[in-house]
Amino acid sequence: MIEFINVHKHYPGRRHVLRELNLRLEKGEMVLITGPSGAGKSTLLKLLTRLEAVSSGTLLVGGVDLTRLRRSQIPAHRRRVGVVFQDHKLLLDRNVYDNVALTLQVAGFSARQLDNRVRAALDKVGLSEHWREFPETLSGGEQQRVGIARAIVHTPEILLADEPTGNLDPALSTEILDMFRDFYRHGTTVLVATHDQQQVERLQVRTLHLDQGSLRESS
Amino acid sequence: MSLHIRLHALENAKNTLLAQPIATLLTVLALAVVLALPVGLFTALANLQQLLARWHDQAQISLYLRDDASPQAIAKLRMQLEQSPGVVAVHFVDKQKALADFQHYAGMMAAIHTLGTNPLPASLIVVLNPLAQSSRELDRQVQQWSHEAIVQSAQSDLKWVARLQAIVALGTRAVYLLGALLAIGAVLVMGNTIRLHIEQRRDEIEISALVGATRTFIRRPFLYQGLIQGLLAGALAWIIVAISFGLLQGPVNHLASLYGTTFPLQGLHVEDGILLILISALLGWLGSRLAVGRYLNNTFS
Ligand SMILES: Nc1ncnc2c1ncn2[C@@H]1O[C@H](COP(=O)(O)OP(=O)(O)OP(=O)(O)O)[C@@H](O)[C@H]1O
Ligand SMILES: [Mg+2]
Repeated sequence: MIEFINVHKHYPGRRHVLRELNLRLEKGEMVLITGPSGAGKSTLLKLLTRLEAVSSGTLLVGGVDLTRLRRSQIPAHRRRVGVVFQDHKLLLDRNVYDNVALTLQVAGFSARQLDNRVRAALDKVGLSEHWREFPETLSGGEQQRVGIARAIVHTPEILLADEPTGNLDPALSTEILDMFRDFYRHGTTVLVATHDQQQVERLQVRTLHLDQGSLRESS
Repeated sequence: MSLHIRLHALENAKNTLLAQPIATLLTVLALAVVLALPVGLFTALANLQQLLARWHDQAQISLYLRDDASPQAIAKLRMQLEQSPGVVAVHFVDKQKALADFQHYAGMMAAIHTLGTNPLPASLIVVLNPLAQSSRELDRQVQQWSHEAIVQSAQSDLKWVARLQAIVALGTRAVYLLGALLAIGAVLVMGNTIRLHIEQRRDEIEISALVGATRTFIRRPFLYQGLIQGLLAGALAWIIVAISFGLLQGPVNHLASLYGTTFPLQGLHVEDGILLILISALLGWLGSRLAVGRYLNNTFS
């Protein structure tokens, strides 16, 4: 499903952030990525959404070589992936429903076509009651759940999350990561970057440690 | 691309514009004023041409006829003249009338009487619309007429026609130039307005792109904003021109009455008004397109 082959990444005028990275994720696998700050976890995820381009090497996602993607093909690629951000990235002037609907709107769904899916996604993250509310009136955990609903509303094959629990207390972190594990159990390929050692130990899934640009499998 | 996506973008554009009614109004007003100026001048120029075309009694050519010209030949030439382009009327002045006119103006009865015969030729007076054709074409035509068999000589003073035409051409060129400059101004005004809208909606653009929006999708609401504001500005410019001409009609009537005539001002023709709205909408779209294109190129390299 996801394969990094000898991937290098450096930002202009900087030393390598990722060096000779090799990684293979099967379809329906769940992987956690840990590592100190600045190790390149966010960079790795940005390569997968093509927010950043690989400097050299090959990156395959669902059979598509991202290094050969033309600019006009990037949106279609992003629509196959769901992404959750640490800072939620919600639109403050739209209510919960419209925030979640955005993913489907950009994919060309009409208001009628997307309604069922948006309701189902809100249901999955337990926010059905809150659909009319605006992000600023929600708690941090609720905001993150809106972000998750937006990332899964189009039932992507791959779900990426960059420190989705970074700002949440332990109980909420557990709740959120259990949600990811649920999606994984339903067949979605899930890749989560996290600092949270406690959750890593609790979840008992494949974990990779990224340090100084190199990956190492944890036990 | 299906209709609901466009409708959604239109709705989005409408909401953005209505969310800031004052800003929208000011943009539309600014655009309308920028457009009303060249359009007003263009319309004034059309009126001026209308007015000049009425001065045809000034643009006359006298074709003096040979004494042996038969009435049939004269009638034939007259008909031919009447059908020539730019000819408003043709009058025939026979020898008697010429003499009477001459006596009336010159008071030289005694001199004529000593001759015993009437030395004045009959003539055809051709009345022209001075703006119907170029002065060069006019000259060529007069040359041609003067070589007609029954024409002895032709008399015309058409220099002023050339001058008048030169002035009108200059005015037209100036108005078009001004129009082009102000059209660029309109595009810039629109571009800047849309740039501000983009700044305000950076997050929305960024997040939309993250979840897979195409450039076309991101661009569309902004293009519609430009288009809508352009349409409104065009319509408003039309209204401004109409009101201005309404306000000018009173003084024009007074002026015309001093010359013992009337002159109803012609506002913008409906076709020209519709063209104005379309061009204005196009300019709005273009300004918006430039602003969004620039932004997207800088953001999504
Ligand atoms: N756009 C960029 N331009 C230049 N350098 C960058 C850019 N983004 C990240 N970096 C650098 O790349 C390195 C890896 O950054 P990255 O954000 O991937 O780390 P991270 O593992 O996500 O860290 P954290 O745990 O703090 O989020 C850092 O040294 C960072 O300064
Ligand atoms: Mg990071």
